[in-house]
Amino acid sequence: MKTQNIISLLIGMVVLMVSTRGYANDDKYLEAMQKNIQSVYTAKTIEELQGAVNSFERIASAEKTKWEPYYYASFGYIMMANREKDGAKKDQYLDQALTAVNKAKEMVPGESEVITLEGFVHMIRVTVDPASRGPQFAGLAMQTFGKAVALNPENPRALSLMAQMQYGTAKFFGSSTAEACGTLMKSLEKFDTYKSDNALAPQWGREVAESMKSQCL
Amino acid sequence: MKFLFTTVLVAIVLTAYGQTKISGRVHDMRGEGVPGANIFLLDTYDGTSSSGDGKFEFNTHETGTYVLVVKFIGFKEFRREIVLINKPVIVEINLIEEINELEAVTITAGAFTASDEKRRTVFRAIDIATTAGATADIAGALNTLPGTQKVGESGRLFVRGGDGNETRTFIDGMVVLDAYGPSAPNTPSRGRFLPFMFKGTSFSTGGYSAEYGQALSSALVLDSKDQSEESRTDIGILSVGADVAHTQAWASGSAAGKIQYTNIRPYFGLINQEVDWKTPPESIEASAAFRQKVGKRGMVKFFGNFNHTDYQLYNHDIDNTDIKQLYDLTNSYRYLNGSYKNSLNDNWIVRGGVSYTYQQNNTFLDADHALDTEQGIHVKSVFEGSLSEKVELKTGIEAISRNYYLNYSPENGPAINRAFDELITAAFVEGDLYTSNRFVTRGGARLEYNNLNQALHIDPRISFAYKTGKVGQVSMAYGVFRQSPKNDLLRVNDQLDAEKSEHFILNYQRIENNRTFRIETYYKKYASLVKYINGNAYDLNNAGSGYAQGIELFWRDNQTIRNVDYWVSYSYLRTERDYLDFPYRTTPTFASGHNFSIVYKHFIAALKSQVGATYSFTSGRPYNDPNEEKFNHARTPAYRDLSFNWSYLPKPYLIVYFSCTNVLGRDNIFGYEFSGNMNAEGLYNSRAIRQPAPRFIFLGIFITLSKNKTVNQLPSL
Repeated sequence: MKTQNIISLLIGMVVLMVSTRGYANDDKYLEAMQKNIQSVYTAKTIEELQGAVNSFERIASAEKTKWEPYYYASFGYIMMANREKDGAKKDQYLDQALTAVNKAKEMVPGESEVITLEGFVHMIRVTVDPASRGPQFAGLAMQTFGKAVALNPENPRALSLMAQMQYGTAKFFGSSTAEACGTLMKSLEKFDTYKSDNALAPQWGREVAESMKSQCL
Repeated sequence: MKFLFTTVLVAIVLTAYGQTKISGRVHDMRGEGVPGANIFLLDTYDGTSSSGDGKFEFNTHETGTYVLVVKFIGFKEFRREIVLINKPVIVEINLIEEINELEAVTITAGAFTASDEKRRTVFRAIDIATTAGATADIAGALNTLPGTQKVGESGRLFVRGGDGNETRTFIDGMVVLDAYGPSAPNTPSRGRFLPFMFKGTSFSTGGYSAEYGQALSSALVLDSKDQSEESRTDIGILSVGADVAHTQAWASGSAAGKIQYTNIRPYFGLINQEVDWKTPPESIEASAAFRQKVGKRGMVKFFGNFNHTDYQLYNHDIDNTDIKQLYDLTNSYRYLNGSYKNSLNDNWIVRGGVSYTYQQNNTFLDADHALDTEQGIHVKSVFEGSLSEKVELKTGIEAISRNYYLNYSPENGPAINRAFDELITAAFVEGDLYTSNRFVTRGGARLEYNNLNQALHIDPRISFAYKTGKVGQVSMAYGVFRQSPKNDLLRVNDQLDAEKSEHFILNYQRIENNRTFRIETYYKKYASLVKYINGNAYDLNNAGSGYAQGIELFWRDNQTIRNVDYWVSYSYLRTERDYLDFPYRTTPTFASGHNFSIVYKHFIAALKSQVGATYSFTSGRPYNDPNEEKFNHARTPAYRDLSFNWSYLPKPYLIVYFSCTNVLGRDNIFGYEFSGNMNAEGLYNSRAIRQPAPRFIFLGIFITLSKNKTVNQLPSL
């Protein structure tokens, strides 16, 4: 009887330990992610971004089933490419961003946010050399944003980036920006109503959309 | 029991509070610190980034054996097992550079690559389409690069003292027997293939890969586009005809078709021509392309081009221009190309294909009739991949079969028939050895066997490249190249051996901030050139020889002036050869000592336009004046041309394109023709070979219909 008690106590402890460890791990994951997401949003230099991206890659190596670390690593690389002036280095960062976003895509193929980020990579590719990249990558970016919106029409980021592409094209050809502004307004509405039960859901994009608003008024 | 419980508790506390400090420094092979590297314990959250001098430290609660991982862009991942026993760990990490396409040195001797995929290229596919004076002709645009000599009456690519036929065109690795459309005698021909079909163009002026045979001076390697992403219809209304194209895309492939009708007659009605046309050229052309993905990484491509052209013109006698002969040409052309590419695994690729060319010229000179037919089949299969990270290997076999037939029936006299069936079988192997990201050696050889003369040749090719710093690199190339004599020689004597050339090339290239500088020098030795024995065109041997040498400069800048891209090329050439009817070694008529060109492109956003101009200068070329004692001793005046183009994009799906060659209307003379008979003063009368018209003016409107309204034909112009 006594030994039985001890055994059940031990089993109970082990179960308790494993489960608290499980909880602790999820908390640890959320905490680490949130901290680094903050820093990727606020980082000012390529070095700071690299630091944050490194953290996401470390988390990704421990958390084999989570897509968010890859998503934010990719986002960080896109921001690095944005700040980089040298075309070849820009491409290097974008290659890294694409590798990371593809890993996220393998885990959650239907996630509109991930597809949006993929389109973002193509969009920044254009800036490396607009004359030669424009025709190919602008089209590819638009198609990808289209896919993202189809997967989730409530995704404000997909709409906002799409609006930016439409606006750029309209400006270039001096045609009406009505379509672009329509998409932008829709994206701003979605920023207001956007809800996700994922505590790590992306939050970025609103400011750019807001600042673009003045060009549409 | 209590004891056991305590032990477990203590153990938990220990794992929670025992800390191990891991510290050290990350550096590259030269000992310099690598900042920003990611250092961590595999499968844990524990880790950090290295600081400015490559140093790092972090703490972990873990104990036991773990894998320490260090990662940074451009370096190989570092992994080492470490044992954590609550004692500080100090590690020195030496990161090894990764050999990658972006950073690694590339062999640039003799090579100009235009590609939208590879990044650090000197030339892009769109550059070809938007070069003024080129009128969207591949050869026209490449003629603004160093290494080429402008031969205005031909329109072909003449490279480094080589004749036009010494440049061979390959599409997806498969040979094209005649890549140029028919043209009237002494008027420039255009390439049959439009630049927009290709995603990559590699133009080599010497020292090219062992994969490419049957090219004495130059290889133009064109890579066709993969499948289209979008369905679209393109309509073009041109001043000389019209075209319509449709592309249908699906998830794993696409099909495209194009029909083009060209009739230059209305244009000639407006602008006076030097040529006395009876019926100006009229042609109908159809092309079709099909692409299908196979499996995960495989791709099948099929391409076909069909063309029918005819024209009639009068040749006037030099002594008495009232005497004229009717020249009537009908040309039929078919080119089919099927290619396949697939990955065997992560490291190895297999690719192969079949191409078929059929060309027939049906010519009448008054009542004399010539029917000249050539058919060729090329079959090839290549394996390429990496033996290790540092060694890449390419090997393949191929067979090129050519079947030529000429029937000449003069009005008076017996008919002449000439024919040959040539089969060249070849095998090649080539390896790239990367000693580091800075140094690469490429060595290879090509074995060729010709069934006609039973000759077997093994030709070595070798090149090196060394990166002198972040932006500069030096490369060298050597190789032996062979090509069967031209059809009009081989049909006289099919036992002739292949003509041979040897290339020695030294190149320095610097690419920094969208500015490119290149300097290249070379020596080319010709041997086994076909020679008339005692000046008899029907008695041939391989006793000819020659050389070419020169220095070439290239500068391109699309950084200094906003929205402006320009490039400048200069080539100096000295060449002499003793071949065909030459009495001794001298410079051939197609060679010019100095070639200079400047290409300027300016994008003006306010006008939604790109305007461009090209200026070319070619020093005088030799021609043979029978009134002079020395052979090929006379020189033509220098060639000068200023061309202009303008693309206007009023709407995303509409482009208006205008171009004009020789804006200044200079009367360029390419050479002189001489009468066969002496006149009363004991001299031979001459007539200059001129441009068919001082200017060529082209106007086109291009409309694209697609779901995505931002698509237009700009990339194809």
